Amino acid sequence: MKALFNVIKSFTLFELLKGMSLTGKRFTTKKFTVQYPEEKTPQSPRFRGLHALRRYPSGEERCIGCKLCEAVCPALAITIDSEEREDGSRRTTRYDIDLFKCVYCGFCEEACPVDAIVETRVFEYAFFERGQQVMTKDMLLEVGAKYEDQIASDRQVDAPYR
Amino acid sequence: MSEETVQIFINDKEVTARKGAMLIEVTDQHDVDVPRFCYHKKLSVAANCRMCMVEVEKAPKPLPACATPVMEGMKVYTKSPLALDAQQGTMEFLLINHPLDCPVCDQGGECELQDVAMGYGNSISRYTERKRVVPDKELGPLVSTDMTRCIHCTRCVRFGTEIAGISELGATGRGEFMEIGTYVEKSLSSELSGNVIDVCPVGALNAKPSRMSARAWEMMQSASVIPHDSVGSNVYLHTLRNQVMRVVPRENDEINETWISDRDRFSYEGLNSIERASHPMMKTDQGWCVSDWDASLSLVAEKLKQHQADDIGVLAAPHSTLEELYLLQKVFRQLGVNNIDHRTQQHDFTDQDAMPLFPYLGQSIKSIEDNESILLVGSNIRLEQPMLAHRIRKAGLSGCKVNSINAQNYDFHFASQFTWNLAPQQWLTALAEIAKCSDTLSDLPSELKSIVASASVSEHAKNIFNSLKNAKQSSVMFGAIADSHPQASALRALSNFIANATHSNFGLLARSGNTVGAWLSGVLPHRLPAGVESNIRGLNSAEMFATPRKVYVLLNLEPEFDFANSPVVLEAIQAADFVVALTPFDNEQVQLYADVILPIATFAETDGTFVNTTGHWQSVGKAVSAPGEARPAWKVLRVLANKLGFENVQYQTSEQIRDEVKQLFSDEVAITSYLKNYDHVNLESDTNKIFRVSDTPIYAVDNIVRRATSLQQAVEDQPNHVAISNNQAKLLDMQDEKVVRVVQGKQEVTLPLRIDENISDNCIWVQKSSTQTDSLGDAIAPVEIQRTANV
Amino acid sequence: MFDWVQNIISVIPPIVLMTVYMFVFVLVLFGCVAYVTLAERKVIGFMQVRIGPNRVGPKGFGQPIADALKLMFKEMILPNDADRFLFRIAPLLSMIPALAAWAVIPFADGWNFADINAGLLYLLAMTSLGVYGVVVAGWASNSKYALLGALRCAAQIVSYEIAMGFALVGVLMASGSLNLGDIINEQQGGILHWYWLPLFPLFITYLIAGVAETNRAPFDVVEGESEIVAGFHVEYSGMGFALFFLAEYANIILISALTALLFLGGWLSPFPESWFTVPYLGALLGHGPHMFIAKTCLFIFCFLWFRATFPRYRYDQIMRLGWKVLLPVTLIWIFVEGVLLYFQVSPWFD
Repeated sequence: MKALFNVIKSFTLFELLKGMSLTGKRFTTKKFTVQYPEEKTPQSPRFRGLHALRRYPSGEERCIGCKLCEAVCPALAITIDSEEREDGSRRTTRYDIDLFKCVYCGFCEEACPVDAIVETRVFEYAFFERGQQVMTKDMLLEVGAKYEDQIASDRQVDAPYR
Repeated sequence: MSEETVQIFINDKEVTARKGAMLIEVTDQHDVDVPRFCYHKKLSVAANCRMCMVEVEKAPKPLPACATPVMEGMKVYTKSPLALDAQQGTMEFLLINHPLDCPVCDQGGECELQDVAMGYGNSISRYTERKRVVPDKELGPLVSTDMTRCIHCTRCVRFGTEIAGISELGATGRGEFMEIGTYVEKSLSSELSGNVIDVCPVGALNAKPSRMSARAWEMMQSASVIPHDSVGSNVYLHTLRNQVMRVVPRENDEINETWISDRDRFSYEGLNSIERASHPMMKTDQGWCVSDWDASLSLVAEKLKQHQADDIGVLAAPHSTLEELYLLQKVFRQLGVNNIDHRTQQHDFTDQDAMPLFPYLGQSIKSIEDNESILLVGSNIRLEQPMLAHRIRKAGLSGCKVNSINAQNYDFHFASQFTWNLAPQQWLTALAEIAKCSDTLSDLPSELKSIVASASVSEHAKNIFNSLKNAKQSSVMFGAIADSHPQASALRALSNFIANATHSNFGLLARSGNTVGAWLSGVLPHRLPAGVESNIRGLNSAEMFATPRKVYVLLNLEPEFDFANSPVVLEAIQAADFVVALTPFDNEQVQLYADVILPIATFAETDGTFVNTTGHWQSVGKAVSAPGEARPAWKVLRVLANKLGFENVQYQTSEQIRDEVKQLFSDEVAITSYLKNYDHVNLESDTNKIFRVSDTPIYAVDNIVRRATSLQQAVEDQPNHVAISNNQAKLLDMQDEKVVRVVQGKQEVTLPLRIDENISDNCIWVQKSSTQTDSLGDAIAPVEIQRTANV
Repeated sequence: MFDWVQNIISVIPPIVLMTVYMFVFVLVLFGCVAYVTLAERKVIGFMQVRIGPNRVGPKGFGQPIADALKLMFKEMILPNDADRFLFRIAPLLSMIPALAAWAVIPFADGWNFADINAGLLYLLAMTSLGVYGVVVAGWASNSKYALLGALRCAAQIVSYEIAMGFALVGVLMASGSLNLGDIINEQQGGILHWYWLPLFPLFITYLIAGVAETNRAPFDVVEGESEIVAGFHVEYSGMGFALFFLAEYANIILISALTALLFLGGWLSPFPESWFTVPYLGALLGHGPHMFIAKTCLFIFCFLWFRATFPRYRYDQIMRLGWKVLLPVTLIWIFVEGVLLYFQVSPWFD
């Protein structure tokens, strides 16, 4: 009986028609597409975009060259050289992030004991030549300086969950 | 094991332990983890960190495993609630004052406290009061301090008193106010001071040269051997991005235990020197220009072919690898050159045929500890071979009497020591006196018999002879200063005789990391590889310059420092038609005399073999690549051989070369340090004059060490000077002179004068191997002292 | 009004005129093909709740032109060991039959280039020829993926040709003619007289076989990017690829048009004749080419709909469906139809 039912069901193309009715219905529904340059999707304060190195309000750079971000980076995108600065504190002499290697996982941000390396909400950037993708320490500090207000407020919002 | 054993139970598992062993030794043996900070297997037990608490059945309280001897049937629980509670409590107390600065601490990642805190610490501190802060101490250019991190385990203090032999560090204050530091503000002066970095379980003592430059987890570790002394200390090179960042000891109980000398630890800085040569260079009419390997080696081959084989002199530094040394002599012997030598610091070559296969220590390094009496002839062993000095010190601690014949009272740290402080011209007589105590003199070379016979035996000589004779095991060690002596052959012969007469081990202290390798591979004018006598006698390193050659080939050498008589060498080498320098370093000095600079790799950058003073072959792999175009010397020599048209030099790996050398030796080589029978020794000496005596400073032994900036800083406060005893100064009426002129042969230098009571009479001490004094020439030679003109 | 036009036309020799007609028609067809690609992307986009291309020109209407320009200016790469001649000719082999088939299609009564009696046979021949382009392309590319794609294509088309042929036999039996004009005229008499109803199983079979014949989803194992990268056209780029692309869409239009002709009464209007006299709207509701085009568009839409809905068949499933399901169904229904014909069942077979 069931076999017969199945034969009838398949010969009447029941399931195919069911599928087509679904796509047919979707044909007329409202579309979700976000028209990117004109419209933008809302961003979470945890958005992980372009990296930045932050400074303290005093102007002192936060990074202490502990290399934990370098160690945790799954893509080996971070390269750090460090040395003792004249005042005896540990500082980086080089802090490079290769954005081609970076997978934007945010582990570096999580590993950082002083909230120095952060991922900002900036995601609209492009490179036109090889080599430009390597963000040096100066570039990262510049990004940090430019977006410090937003970075700080985003950390503030997220603070209770950290 | 002949020792008595007991059965104990660790965590209900029955194990056998040596009677009298501490619990922690047994748990370590059986891989049972017990946390500890103050316990170190090579140091005494202090039991002051209280971290290794374990529960022992029937003991009312937990006991420290490091200070609890095993007893028959003892039941130990390392993970019981009681033990864990005690460990956690200790941990919490330790962490009260320990700063949470792991991210900036160089110890982070390899920190015992960090590891144990992960296992036993609480995740949240209950301590909310102010933490203790301790000012950092300045301990010199090698060791950096962060004393707030100190947990007072006193390992460094015990290291100083027990191993280094100098109580430089100590604890002052009690309780909360306890601080580790030097009693008086000063740098660490021990030649083993770097080891406190390793013994420190936290980040309180760290290496200053590598401070804050690399983390433990990101470095690659390669096993290696350091060639600055003939011990061949085993180390790990820690490298990051093709650069050696630091050197740590590799445990080898036969050679260096868990220690290494500061020279071995910090010499790596020389590898990263800005003077590293990275491209072959050629001197042209327009000055120096960068060349390529093909062109420069073609030029070298062409020039070598243009000259008579006898006009070519080949010299190698004895810290090159065995492979490099062997290939050097192979290529040039094939070219017909026999003027090949590595003994650049030696003055007297009279007894070169009598020398054994290689300068052998006469015993294993470990067995030095078992000596009951040791005679050092002309050696500042502490600075020459720090790890051997450490073994002698260990022997001293168990009662060994250490006598030495030196021209000054060196700062030895042996428990029972005597220095027969004599000017170098008197050493021969002193040894003759000791020799005269022997029953029979028949074994002596004929030339020495009369000297020995005419000697009048002093009290010192008798004491030394009896001490050697009465000891169960004793040694006579012939050091580097004696080796540079103008009468070295006579001194060696007498020392050899004394050793024989007293049934002592006769030890020749090889100078450098591969001096033995150079002897074995035939970098000698009179011997082929494996000690085979050569039919044709080449010129030795002194003769090569006394009668200058037209072409010189230098491997790893710097003529301005590395030769006994540098002024003569420099003169000859600058006058030569063509000089090839195979060197890792390129500076103005090399460019002054060389015509072609071939950049080569250092010990860390090539596969190679080093043979230490006990004849122990140690092959190591390369840890990093040489900078730029620089290549391992054996590869350079192989290509040079091909350019010269030699078809039997086709090695692909350094192992092939090593195996070729090894095959030359029969299976049963009788290794001996005793000299062969011979008659002729050198007795020439001008005993009436004042002698200059010098030794190679500890951080000037080879081209790499000389460029290790931190090591150089460590000896910066010892500027070059003329040292003279008070008596001698009075005799010369020079007590009030500030600056004097020293004239040695044709050379003269002007240096500040210092009165030093440690210096023997009839001699002055002027250090060697620094630019200013090397213009003086031989290390031990008659000199004149003059007032400076303006007085 | 257009007298002067007719005057000009009447003086031009018929052969030249015919050439001009064909040229214009091919251009229009190419335009349609281009816009079917846009329609496909739009329709599938809509069914997947997104918008589809909308950046080039107003609402994305410039997209096909942009695509065409891009493909024209791209280099056509010739693989190293390819058969140069066959490699170049293969896209044409696949394109030309798709165009040639249109010669016999009547847009309205008498509106065709060649009113031949064996029209249906000619169509069957032309649609089958397209496979040669694919097979030649696969062979000439000298690539294992291309060859595998071509083999799959050949096997698939041979299998479905049979079911398709039998479906056409049903039409032939019902109409008694191979002339397409006659076939449509036989269907006159309202929507219920069209062949879709009496030959319903054959209609469905023909539609399915048509999809398979054009290598469209869910029967596009020829391209099967998950297994054989892109199948027969993996080595093609630039205009070579563009021609295959055009051929595929030309075939879609052709099969849709044929379905409209054979089963949905071609230019016939579905509305009662009384409506034809309604003022103004009458012309729109009556018979005519617009009806044919509307029906063709309906089937084109179905093609796109299928693609948006069904996942790709496994290859053995395709073979099973062709041989073990569609073929028996057509055979049975031809037998049933024969019985109906014998008894002259009204209103279709009287």
